[in-house]
Amino acid sequence: MPSSTSSSKPQLARPFDDDVVRRPVPERPWRGLAIISVIATIALMVGWELYWRANWHIPGDFKNTTSLWAEQRRNAKGDATVLIGSSRILFDTDLNVWENTVGVRPIQLALEGTSPQPVLADLAADEEFNGLVVVGVTAPLTFSGYAYRGDVIEEARNEAPFERAGHVLWMQLEKLFAYTDEATRPKTMVFYAGLPLREGMRRRMEPRKLEIMNADRNTEMWSRVVDDPAYQQLARDVWGNSVGPMLEGLKDPNSPAYGAIAEQTNKIIAELGADIEKIRARGGDVVFARMPYDGLYEEIEEKAFPREKAWDKLLAETNSIGVHFKDYEALQGFYIVEWSHLAPRDAEAFTAAFVPILYEQMDTATGASAD
Amino acid sequence: MLFNSLTFLVFFAIVLALHNAPFPWRMKKFNLLIASYLFYAAWSPPFVILLWISTAVDWKVAQWIHRSDDTARRRFILILSMATNLGILGYFKYGGFLLENFTVTMAAMGVNYQAPDWNIILPVGISFYTFQTMAYSLDVYLKRAEPAKSLLDFSLFVTFFPQLVAGPIVRPSQLVPQFATPKKATPPQFYWGLGLITIGMFEKIVLADSFLAPAADGAFGAAGALAPLDAWTGVLAFSGQIFFDFSGYSTIAIGTALCLGFALPNNFLYPYAAIGFSDFWRRWHISLSTWLRDYLYIPIGGNKRGRIRTYVNLMITMLLGGLWHGASWTFVIWGGLHGLYLSVERMLREAIPEQNWFRSLWFKIAMALVTYFLINITWVFFRAQSFDQAMTMLASMAGIAVEPEKVLYLNEIVPAAIIIAGMVATHWYLRMRSMEDVIAAAPKWLIGVIWTFMLFMLMITQGSDSAFIYFQF
Repeated sequence: MPSSTSSSKPQLARPFDDDVVRRPVPERPWRGLAIISVIATIALMVGWELYWRANWHIPGDFKNTTSLWAEQRRNAKGDATVLIGSSRILFDTDLNVWENTVGVRPIQLALEGTSPQPVLADLAADEEFNGLVVVGVTAPLTFSGYAYRGDVIEEARNEAPFERAGHVLWMQLEKLFAYTDEATRPKTMVFYAGLPLREGMRRRMEPRKLEIMNADRNTEMWSRVVDDPAYQQLARDVWGNSVGPMLEGLKDPNSPAYGAIAEQTNKIIAELGADIEKIRARGGDVVFARMPYDGLYEEIEEKAFPREKAWDKLLAETNSIGVHFKDYEALQGFYIVEWSHLAPRDAEAFTAAFVPILYEQMDTATGASAD
Repeated sequence: MLFNSLTFLVFFAIVLALHNAPFPWRMKKFNLLIASYLFYAAWSPPFVILLWISTAVDWKVAQWIHRSDDTARRRFILILSMATNLGILGYFKYGGFLLENFTVTMAAMGVNYQAPDWNIILPVGISFYTFQTMAYSLDVYLKRAEPAKSLLDFSLFVTFFPQLVAGPIVRPSQLVPQFATPKKATPPQFYWGLGLITIGMFEKIVLADSFLAPAADGAFGAAGALAPLDAWTGVLAFSGQIFFDFSGYSTIAIGTALCLGFALPNNFLYPYAAIGFSDFWRRWHISLSTWLRDYLYIPIGGNKRGRIRTYVNLMITMLLGGLWHGASWTFVIWGGLHGLYLSVERMLREAIPEQNWFRSLWFKIAMALVTYFLINITWVFFRAQSFDQAMTMLASMAGIAVEPEKVLYLNEIVPAAIIIAGMVATHWYLRMRSMEDVIAAAPKWLIGVIWTFMLFMLMITQGSDSAFIYFQF
């Protein structure tokens, strides 16, 4: 609340009729009050921090911000290896394992709920980049062009100096404290509070916290999704809420939706092809990967984006190699927690199996082209 | 940089340390000036050039005007200053709007004009510092004030970081003299300044961003018509959001300046307890309303040229006041509504003689609620993305919209309702009081508890670094 210019009598502001602005200070023992308030706040904060640490949260979990992405994007220069796509390649690849396997630490630029297209276009337009792009394909996103975090690229380009500085400062707190996670904020708690539903309204089904993210965006599934059955079920319900209506629309094999999906898929494959050519023209390369899924996602991906009309076509028309988890026994049998993402240990094991296959494929392709 | 960011906290700590170091006063002013440029450059370094142009032009213009006795020459120089200031403002803020309307007009005349792309970024706070430097040249031209004697002091007046990007729009006579002699906050001023910063941050981060924005954004982000409860919640939440956002900024600015030993004027005085619209404008964005009064309404004749001309002058002033907020017809309508309210209020005051029961509490409360209701109608146009959306929202509020939808959950409605009720009650309680008086009389333990609560809420809310609404103006 704003304060008044007068401490003596009530008055309406006529500040510009006076050349002198007076700001009276209420007579109170301010120094003592300030010290006591700060000490009390610190005590409350200690309790708050301990509470969240006892409830699944840990320090060193960084918020997946535009600034964090922008920092990694700035590293994607020269012959760097870059991972792009949506949440599957984000959760299912462990950068440490990747580095230990082939001696190259990839840069993680995947964005949850987002088609790889905007990031690929950004890399294609960057003359300073001529490295390897591994594109994670989550069919409903890749072939629809849906980009939940599509604004990130433009926002990163326009990042203000104070935002960059604030990001560096904020990370220092994130390293030390668990309470910095967005899920602990009063706003989030109120947003998800179990208040009665108004008549005719459906339960709220926005995706909740699923990941623990390191400073370089190396990401793993949050332990609560793995170990808390109720939270895990909630995650599945959320996916079901978005996939269910899609499946409903595809019940009729003669539905015009099929034609629209095929048309959109072809358009996107052509656009991806154009960007791939730009990267290859500079000496870089682009390869594709399909990470594990099951349950409702198995249904929707097989129904709406059958292999021959989507994945196979993508590889053929862009003249690319790709690793589909269904083609390799070594890439199957992992624990997919909520139909779409691997548990942390499984992600490590999957990466250890996936990387050799990918590089072997690339070597084979290079050999073939050399012949 | 944003007040509600870690960057600002570190920046301010450094500024405070330098300001309290044993340097000569002139050097401390240089420190403040450089800090202010850095504060502005933190958004986009090239835009600092605009501050330099504003500073250089008005510094010189005021001197030339002051030295000249020739009316025509003085007027010519003033026009030069106005053209520069308004030219910069017009180019960045209104260029796209003018181009768009020109294209529409051409199309209406059957001419297919293809406008070029207009991707100009609006420099933050440009409307605020442009009005501040214009006031300086106008004061000198109108012989209300003499030019500043020190370029350093004048530069600091234009650029002083606490109020640079969103006011209060300070008059030169209020701030320039404060730079003439050494200033340093006394311990009570410093701690009270920190208290004001806490209050302002709490208003912005906790109330506006965390608990009111979701309801306002949810309602105004909906594609179609809304159920009356959703529409009213959204509009009332926005009335709170914009107040806490802007009042929060002003309070942080005042507190920040006070920690350095400077006094800035109020920008808000519990506006939602206003009884009538002239009362509202004495309480809402005071530094803009008084600027418009002194530099626009009075120079075009004010209320000295007859009844009809008074209404016309009110309308012109408020329409331009609306346009000051942004290049959009919805802002013009917002200003037009305020002009209409002020004119009707004036008409009623002249037509209805004062009655004893006008002074009764129930009548005052009823009139305050009517005022708040009508203010909320104006906020619909202020917040809506288009005229059509505003009309749909008004129809939704009236319960006559076609196919209304429920879009807000109780999770948004309940916090918004509690905060809005609390805000209106608090405004009413403080209507004829000053917060300083209330705090001076409050028990110490209560002040400690409230301060701790606000600090704790700020710490756990953390702030999302979302920009202040008025930065876009």
